Amino acid sequence: MALKGLDIFKMSPKKNCKECGCPTCMAFCMKVAQGAASIDKCPYFSEEAKASLNEATAPAMKTITFGKDLKMGGETVLFRHEKTLVNKNLFAVAVSTGMSDEEVDSKLADLQKVDYDRISERMYVETVFVSNTQNDPAVYTKLVEKAAATGRALILECWDVECAKAALAVCKDSKPILDGATPANWEAMNAVAAEAGVVLGVYAENISDLYDTVKNLEAKGNKNLVLDVTGKTAKETLANAVLVRRTAIKDGDRSFGYPSIVNLTRIAKGDSHLQTAYAAMFVEKYASIIVMENMSMAQALPLYGLRQNIFTDPQKPMKVESKIYPLNGADENAPCCLTVDFALTYFLVSGELEHANTPVNLLITDASGMSVLTAWAAGKFSSTSIKKFFEENDIENKIKNRTLIIPGKVAVMKGEIQEKLPNWNVVVGPTEAVQLPKYMKNKEYEAAAAAAAAENAAKAATGAAVEVKELSFDELLATKVPKIEVVDMGVNYKGHNPDSQTFVTIGERIHCIAPSVRKAMDERDPAPILKRAAEQIAAGATYLDVNIGPAEKDGPERMMWAVKLLQENFNNVPLALDTANKRAIEAGIKVYNRTNGKPIVNSADAGSRISYIDLAAANDAICVALCSADGIAKDNEERMKHCHNMLERGLSLGMTSDDLWFDPLFLVVKGMQDKQMDVLNAIKLFADEGLKSTGGLSNNSNGAPKTVRPIMDSALVAMAMMQGLTSAIVNPCDLRLMETIKSCDIFKNNVLYSDSYLDI
Amino acid sequence: MSFVPKTQPFNGKINTVTLGTGDKAVVIGGQNVLPFYTFDAPIENAPKIGVEISDLANEWTAPGLKEFYAGCTTMAERAKKAETMPGADFICLHFESADPNGENRSTAECVADAVAVAEAITMPIVIMGCKNMEKDGELFSKISEALQGKNILVMSARSEDYKTVGASVALAYGQKVGAETADDINLAKQLNIMLKGLSIAPQNIVMNIGTAAVGYGYEYVASTLDRVRAAALAQSDADLQMPIIAPVSPDTWSVKESSASEEDEPAWGNCEERAINMEVATASADLIGGADAVIMRHPDAVAAIKKFITELV
Repeated sequence: MALKGLDIFKMSPKKNCKECGCPTCMAFCMKVAQGAASIDKCPYFSEEAKASLNEATAPAMKTITFGKDLKMGGETVLFRHEKTLVNKNLFAVAVSTGMSDEEVDSKLADLQKVDYDRISERMYVETVFVSNTQNDPAVYTKLVEKAAATGRALILECWDVECAKAALAVCKDSKPILDGATPANWEAMNAVAAEAGVVLGVYAENISDLYDTVKNLEAKGNKNLVLDVTGKTAKETLANAVLVRRTAIKDGDRSFGYPSIVNLTRIAKGDSHLQTAYAAMFVEKYASIIVMENMSMAQALPLYGLRQNIFTDPQKPMKVESKIYPLNGADENAPCCLTVDFALTYFLVSGELEHANTPVNLLITDASGMSVLTAWAAGKFSSTSIKKFFEENDIENKIKNRTLIIPGKVAVMKGEIQEKLPNWNVVVGPTEAVQLPKYMKNKEYEAAAAAAAAENAAKAATGAAVEVKELSFDELLATKVPKIEVVDMGVNYKGHNPDSQTFVTIGERIHCIAPSVRKAMDERDPAPILKRAAEQIAAGATYLDVNIGPAEKDGPERMMWAVKLLQENFNNVPLALDTANKRAIEAGIKVYNRTNGKPIVNSADAGSRISYIDLAAANDAICVALCSADGIAKDNEERMKHCHNMLERGLSLGMTSDDLWFDPLFLVVKGMQDKQMDVLNAIKLFADEGLKSTGGLSNNSNGAPKTVRPIMDSALVAMAMMQGLTSAIVNPCDLRLMETIKSCDIFKNNVLYSDSYLDI
Repeated sequence: MSFVPKTQPFNGKINTVTLGTGDKAVVIGGQNVLPFYTFDAPIENAPKIGVEISDLANEWTAPGLKEFYAGCTTMAERAKKAETMPGADFICLHFESADPNGENRSTAECVADAVAVAEAITMPIVIMGCKNMEKDGELFSKISEALQGKNILVMSARSEDYKTVGASVALAYGQKVGAETADDINLAKQLNIMLKGLSIAPQNIVMNIGTAAVGYGYEYVASTLDRVRAAALAQSDADLQMPIIAPVSPDTWSVKESSASEEDEPAWGNCEERAINMEVATASADLIGGADAVIMRHPDAVAAIKKFITELV
């Protein structure tokens, strides 16, 4: 729970003694609230005030651990879209002293039959719920020992103190939960749990008594609790589960900030379908442990599938394992279909291939859980990554069929893949998964595969591919980069003073996602690129971004050509070099003219692309630093962690902080509307630390109508500039946006006002 | 110091929509709290269950389904039987075979089936198409015309065809229309705005905001449901206050868990039992997320969800 500065100030000594280094107590408290100063810096804060401050800043819900490595609770939100749910619920199967030996044995045997992997997660019944109904320590202990033999964590439901002691004596080292405190016995049970060092479960007949019992236990210093919220009916149980969680998270009452147990054997006894229905509900509505009479595979498949979905971090894509998936009885003679490891892609593609009902080997490559086109653009789905996948999985030897079907959306990669995998017949498949059944059934790939095979054979006949020596940049420049012709486009780049405080716009229109740019880059055709550059410069862009695509093959010469083309034609316009090919960026910088500002490396992140900072440092370039690692940062704490990691790395390599431009990652309103203020606040956090910032601002309005986008972009840029944004990657041809930026520069006093400020 | 729960009824309220006519008419929607949050305020109308009858139902292999519909050969016979299924509130006719890429059954035949059903039963009727927009457009219009006065719900007006479907189904023939989107809350709102723009009253609009079987990207469905209800109730967003209908069975019966044979998946056990649990778990998740009506298939699954609803309301 974030505490406001004024709340802290109320408890402060209000002496204004300056001993903490701040001019006033008020200033100090504001810093404490931001986390910029520790409360301990003030010698006069009373211990009482400090304790209540610590209490107020503690998480709303405790994380409780038991068994070998089981975790519950620690949730910070009520709905997954608000941030993410943290610890998935666990399942338990109940046995009791009231059951016959045979029944207990068969339940324990059955629960162990559920044990399988689904999307890289082990699905099994994590715990056994051992219920004491007879109050005979010997009988109960025997049952506990039997349950312990499964190796699963135990929950001891036992309200009798002597039985609890006896049971713990045989199993306390496995860290079970002692689910035994009630309003009647809590004091004695608390002592037993404390002595054994185990989590204590609390049960009461109504929620009010439950609350009082927790308060009593907390007063005795026990906060290692779990609450059995099961009521007399399903209706009451749902009410309890929701009220307990809502009270903790929404109202901040930590006495209900504990994980909860829901026992379906009490409210749906003997009805397995009803238990499935209730269990599905309590996966979403706040049970930490769901106790079932049994867990058949028929129940496990939907319930574990649901749980896996619900507890997926909304900002981290769900990935499937990268490997060969033989479908419809495929063996080594079946053709191969290749795609990425994004879970939805996998389900869609494998589903359609199964409908086709012809044997096929589905090859899933590691693409960081991105969809096909996104992964391609980010360089995560490339001929190199595919070759690596083929080598690591020894596919050449495991599969004899040589037909390799790639997604139609990345038809452009065909040549590169063919080159890296010369023994395979690469075929471009359909662009959409729904077209696959027809495509596979009618073997539409056969002609293309035969053609590829013939081509490969011809190539092999003319001699094995000669290992090409990597050329130096100078050699490449001399031999592979066409001479630049200067064309008068009627536009002059006015120049840029790198020390200016005005907002820096980086024009985004030269990007390989645009088919015309991709074609022009491939053919080294200057006209389309010069046209886009001229438009952006005329519209007032400070920098131009040059995205040459993943450019695995000819990146260096591509980038050198593009840099020279643009700078020689437009008065050394400064550029941002944008590609997943690092060597291409280096090559571009080699031929770059710095008159109007350093080159920008676009971009590094705090994950797999962190070495782009090294590249920028080694070449005295500016670096766009994306505050994310794998997927979008879940909150500003994480954004700032990434920011500081990258800052540290840059500084240690001799960069100045001004050359790192931090990108909070602008998010699309359609889909992430509730995260927009987070992004804006992150910009403020950068600015407060004196850091520069940039980002693909227009991403916010992706998918919105053309007429609306300039309005949204302009409003956001104004808000972001207020927060301290110093640059943005934008479409400079958006007049409304550019006029808004110029106006904001006036208000920020970055440039002196004149009546015609919009025209200069 | 004892605990006093804070209740959280909202000012916003879900619209009520009536389907069907006479004694068997059902009303969905009406609550001003999150699903089954009876501790915040009473639930005005319990969620309803529709039983799916497909025109490909003769291909259904589950023993329980075959037994239940034993002796039925036509859609009308099946619908009449489905009316007797404990827990059924309305009947959903699913014209899968109209698909031009499948059996391409003619519109006239489908309309004849719908008319025969309407004559045979008294429960409200919901129409589900074949997902081919051109064919659906024709089918929806003709069925709506033929069943005028029955106050049926036609499931699918999509952003691509809402004008034609909305105009014929709701405006010309006075039926209820379902606004269908796929896990996109912004589009769900936009589609409602556009349907209202055609002068269709909000009381005649139901939403299908997207479905999936649990385990199959269901997180998108769950979060869309959560966000739709949050907007409708907490923000009183009138353009998202339409009740929600969730077709459960078409999704759940087609996934591997429900269809793989016991020979192919020996460790998974009885196939029908898997299909029932898949249907039950998905329906339960849809209901706790905000669905005001679910469409289901198996009598055992319907019975379990009926009990579930009765216990919770």
